[in-house]
Amino acid sequence: MVSPILLIAVPLALAFLTPMVGLASKSARRYMPAIAMLFNFIVAMSLLPKALEAPIIVRTAGWAPPLSIHLVAGPLGLLLSSLVALIGLLVAIYGIDYIREGARARYDVLYTLLLVGATGVVLTGDLFNLFVFFEVLCISSYALVAYRGDSAGVEAGMKYLIQGAIGSSLVLIGIGLLYGTVGTLSMADIASSVGSVAGSRLFISLAFMIAGFGVEAAIFPLNAWLPDAHSSAPSSISAVLSGVAIKAGLYAIARVVYTVYGASSILPFLAVLGVVTLLVGEMCAFAQEDIKRLLAFSSIGQMGLILFALALSSATGISGAVFLIISHGLAKALLFLATGYMIYRTGSRDISSLAGMGKRMPIMSLCFTVGAFSLMGLPPFVGFASKFTIVRAVLGTGSTFFITLLAIGLIGTVIEGAYFLRIVQWLYFKPAPEAMPEQTEGRAPLTALVPVGLLAVLIVTIGLLPGIVGRALGPAADDLLDRAAYIQHVMGD
Amino acid sequence: MRKQISLLLLLIVAAGFALCLAGAPFGAEGARESRRLVKDNVNYGRRYVSKGLDENRCANIVTSVVLNYRGFDTLGEVTILFIAALGLGAVLYGRRAGASPDEAQRPSLILSTGCRLLFPLIMLVGIYIFIHGHLSPGGGFQGGAVIASGFLLICLGCRKKKLNSVALGAAESLSGLAFVLLALIGLAVGGSFLLNFLPTGKVYALFSGGIIPLIYIAIGVKVGSELSGIIDNLSGEVR
Repeated sequence: MVSPILLIAVPLALAFLTPMVGLASKSARRYMPAIAMLFNFIVAMSLLPKALEAPIIVRTAGWAPPLSIHLVAGPLGLLLSSLVALIGLLVAIYGIDYIREGARARYDVLYTLLLVGATGVVLTGDLFNLFVFFEVLCISSYALVAYRGDSAGVEAGMKYLIQGAIGSSLVLIGIGLLYGTVGTLSMADIASSVGSVAGSRLFISLAFMIAGFGVEAAIFPLNAWLPDAHSSAPSSISAVLSGVAIKAGLYAIARVVYTVYGASSILPFLAVLGVVTLLVGEMCAFAQEDIKRLLAFSSIGQMGLILFALALSSATGISGAVFLIISHGLAKALLFLATGYMIYRTGSRDISSLAGMGKRMPIMSLCFTVGAFSLMGLPPFVGFASKFTIVRAVLGTGSTFFITLLAIGLIGTVIEGAYFLRIVQWLYFKPAPEAMPEQTEGRAPLTALVPVGLLAVLIVTIGLLPGIVGRALGPAADDLLDRAAYIQHVMGD
Repeated sequence: MRKQISLLLLLIVAAGFALCLAGAPFGAEGARESRRLVKDNVNYGRRYVSKGLDENRCANIVTSVVLNYRGFDTLGEVTILFIAALGLGAVLYGRRAGASPDEAQRPSLILSTGCRLLFPLIMLVGIYIFIHGHLSPGGGFQGGAVIASGFLLICLGCRKKKLNSVALGAAESLSGLAFVLLALIGLAVGGSFLLNFLPTGKVYALFSGGIIPLIYIAIGVKVGSELSGIIDNLSGEVR
């Protein structure tokens, strides 16, 4: 059996190797991120069936868990790292031809390392190691947001850097306080000993960690950096930031709240935050005229819904949240990728410039529509299946509090439908302007059509046959909910 | 008015933090508490100190923790520094071409000769620090920083000299690769990433500690070339 640590070590080695490959052949270097992610996808998928039975515990340096850093490749971790690898692979293929300017060599390395960071975050079983990989993810995001080096990009990168750095410092202080209290860094070991510590001594560290990870997860009111960062970055980077990076922040919050602290009393607060984030994100998205900013705000809204579902503390609720992480990841990656070439074609990010795009770029427009319908939650796309699971979970709890929140949240979904339908209307039902600024280099090459098409096919296929991922969702939810089993798997007998 | 309100808010927040953190366990009291709390009375810090010397034969316990017990974190930290250097290069990429170099005054004979005299000595100190990282205080990060300071001296003192960025990049890549490969050999040989698979030798000898000194040499080269790369990037010369 291959060790899950290869999911981190091999792409890392390939990232270090990339500049050397670039010395030999510049065109070969562009394929390195795709090779790394293809490897990760194959390995993660092959390990997943085994992890569904029991989490795979990986030691480092030969020491048994609490003593040294260890990975816990459970159902949730491997499911999310498969998603990271899949989106990473498709976006890497797209990036081969999409990135035309700037320090290409550095782009390839930073892109691979961003995904290594996300994979490390979902697989690690050690709290400080979680922070280290979180930093790998964040710092490569800051650099990639500013990749173009234009003033908008650098400004957005700087904003993101300052807010992200404050968030990371809070996480670090939180981890330090917790370590001072329990004297260990292994998440399972902490989980087994927090029970004997007074709640008031744990609260500050928990609050620091939620606030810190919340910056990356773009939870209201910590979401100010996201619209600028996601819209100023190159579209391939926006796709991984929206599809992968912000989910790593949410995963970290869920892991800390459920597994490390077992703090179920804070969940209603998170549910309220989730609904507020949902409403704020969707309302801001509705007001946008810039297509990439609209997509960025829509990501904030969806993150709110995922947080709300995570806070339900029921197996169905968390299954729904994980399902929505998958469906939103696929759909938002698709939307950003499709938008990338539309912007190349028109030279503008205004929604009104998309008029008549349905005729000029039929495949891209069709795929864009599939992604938009999926995000709105229309059947038969995957977004419907995931949102329906969440609604079912809320009704299943039978609590007036959650049902009221859901009712408020559904307003957000209606707003979402309104603005996505408006874009689809521009794509298909508005005549193209007379003198179209035609840019020939805007024609989408095969490396763009294949990933976008594949994402659309995946959205429809999983939407029609939710069982494909459904089998893994239950164990993934238990991975978060069942603390005793987690501790027992890691610490052994 | 606005100033006073924000000052007041700041004071309230500060008071809240002070109240919260007053109860946080630190120092002697914290250590006593944590020893009492941790299961089976195992305090990991103490355990590393008492058993580390036997387990890794590495005289510097800090190095033993950094590169063995928590070596996976160190791999991540080296990567973070790598990303920071790369990111800086990526952001400055477009700007460098346009910037015109300031007309630098030629260095005097004393300055340039002094720099050339000091440079090999600085290299020697840096290399000594990272080769002896498992024996004495210091290690790869510190030694690398000393080496980079030597390159900074050359940049400042002998103004016409340019750093070879291709060689720096190669040193950076190969040393990072060496770290990962050393760790992967452990996985192949003994089934555990970063396993100390080499004979550990006698404590306090130069050849002791198994793979620990090898990893520290790789880190030293990597940190040195990364920091020098940052200096090269910021020196504002047109390529």
